[in-house]
Amino acid sequence: MNRYEIRISGFGGQGVITLSKMITMASSIYENLAATQTEAYSAAARGGRCWAEVVVDLDRDTKQIDYPKALIPYDFLIVLSEESAKDIKRDSLKTGDNTGYLIWDPSTIKKFRLAQKFKSLRIPVQRMALEKFGDTVYGNSILFGAFTALSKIFSEEAAIETIRNFVPKATLEKNLEAFELGKVEAEYFLKELEGEKK
Amino acid sequence: MSKVNDKRFLPEGKYLMMGNVAMAEGAIAAGLKFFGGYPITPSTEVIEHLAKRMPEVGGCCMQMEDELASINAVMGASLVGAKAMTATSGPGLALMSETISFAANLEIPFVFCDVQRNGPGNGFVTDPHHNDIGLIRFAGNGEFGVIALAPINCQELFDLTIMAFNFAETYRCPTFIISDAYLGHIHEVVSIPKKEEILDKVIKREITDDCDTTYTYTYLDKGTNQLITPKPFIMGTEYCARNIVQQPHGPQGFPVTPSKAIDFIKGIIDKINNNKDKICLTDEYQLDDAEIVIVAYGLPVRAAYRSVDLAREEGIKVGVFRLITVWPFPDEKVKNAIKNAKAIIVPELNYMGVIAEQVERVTDPGTPVIRIPKVCLFHHPDDILKVIMEVAK
Repeated sequence: MNRYEIRISGFGGQGVITLSKMITMASSIYENLAATQTEAYSAAARGGRCWAEVVVDLDRDTKQIDYPKALIPYDFLIVLSEESAKDIKRDSLKTGDNTGYLIWDPSTIKKFRLAQKFKSLRIPVQRMALEKFGDTVYGNSILFGAFTALSKIFSEEAAIETIRNFVPKATLEKNLEAFELGKVEAEYFLKELEGEKK
Repeated sequence: MSKVNDKRFLPEGKYLMMGNVAMAEGAIAAGLKFFGGYPITPSTEVIEHLAKRMPEVGGCCMQMEDELASINAVMGASLVGAKAMTATSGPGLALMSETISFAANLEIPFVFCDVQRNGPGNGFVTDPHHNDIGLIRFAGNGEFGVIALAPINCQELFDLTIMAFNFAETYRCPTFIISDAYLGHIHEVVSIPKKEEILDKVIKREITDDCDTTYTYTYLDKGTNQLITPKPFIMGTEYCARNIVQQPHGPQGFPVTPSKAIDFIKGIIDKINNNKDKICLTDEYQLDDAEIVIVAYGLPVRAAYRSVDLAREEGIKVGVFRLITVWPFPDEKVKNAIKNAKAIIVPELNYMGVIAEQVERVTDPGTPVIRIPKVCLFHHPDDILKVIMEVAK
């Protein structure tokens, strides 16, 4: 039993739930790990304060996740709105090596002082998606790329298969480009972290 | 009817499914031919998914004008030989209870998915609350037996729905799947087995043609003194005439005198009670040396598993006894599981503790039964752990 706790929060319509499903699919279907996804189920999912959680068990012998909700402190947080940034506390994230990452979007969150306390990667997802690909929906693939490279809980192949499964064929190329963009951002960030350590 | 449509079976493999969808797919795999329902939060995805899938498998998904029409359509479909189901939430169950009682009287097999939400009245419609457990047990006027299964994950929502259809075919009583707003919306992997494996498990609905010798309804076999439930009959076939009367009736469907009514009531209750060994499914976790036993069903089981792991790290001997079948209540199995326990904990997602009362009924006086009630919010492992620690002191 080695639970990896992930929480994504933002407002409904940003792709919070879609991203959580992509993470679940990559971990469970393609990486053969036990995983459970739970999501906000109310008006929140359609414009309000929206959240989704994924618990992945990194232990390959585990067949089923016991407690389905992510437990605090989390291993990975993705925060996409001002409102949801307010929910984050100092002890919300784990502190060990290869865990306790935060990704947040400065194009939707003006101030997020607490982010400095964590290993936080700042990606203006919404703006990047709009500028480079002409639509904010590609933000999901950017985030998915960054998540894949940072968390390393499933392989890049698993992630790409998931994208193939999730997006309409006509947008596959753009989505893969967006994925790559997020991945590069995350890899650069990891190098910086390594540098700081030294 | 015997024709097997290939689209009924998803290709063998792993699928990421929402709880409500897994339940719907389980029903299709079990041979569901008619779904009648009226959308209600939090069960809506069931009818939504079936509206798409039923035409593909040569079945029918019908959105009726309300819950009363839905359940009556389900009865009609079942009477003419279709495996039938409905899905709703607490308010729907309340409306449908009149017809559930009718179905129990006439031993019409059907499956009822109750995706529970908070109540009473309208309640918080998107929050889980196991507050229909009592209503499910007594789902209508009159006395009759029911079967209710409580899955805890998406795989079980698929598997146990198939099993529920089998129970409905075998015992011809109202058969429930107990889900809730939370479980219905979890996404998890469901492994779909090979078509042949599913077909091996499924009990088919078939036309019986020897209507001269076979009884229509449950009867007491004089030779063995056992209650026998014949296979469900199918109306409108060329073979036999069937009597359908809503009074206490004998095995051939003719009304009996009030003095014989007890035999009829015995039949529709004891056909289930006498088969508890086959119907009452249970599971245990870390129970062998447990001094504290958690008795649970539905989602709180998963929180209990976690809290047991945490408590065991502290050296506390605690285990979980899980009810997969909630009704009929497995008296003997629970008694056996708790016989060495010095305390019993029942975390239930309701305030009244309907199952806790049943556990108290079979517990020796002097052994404490501690309830952990929750409403709308799902038990956190720490909630249960705290009680375990207090008891272990």
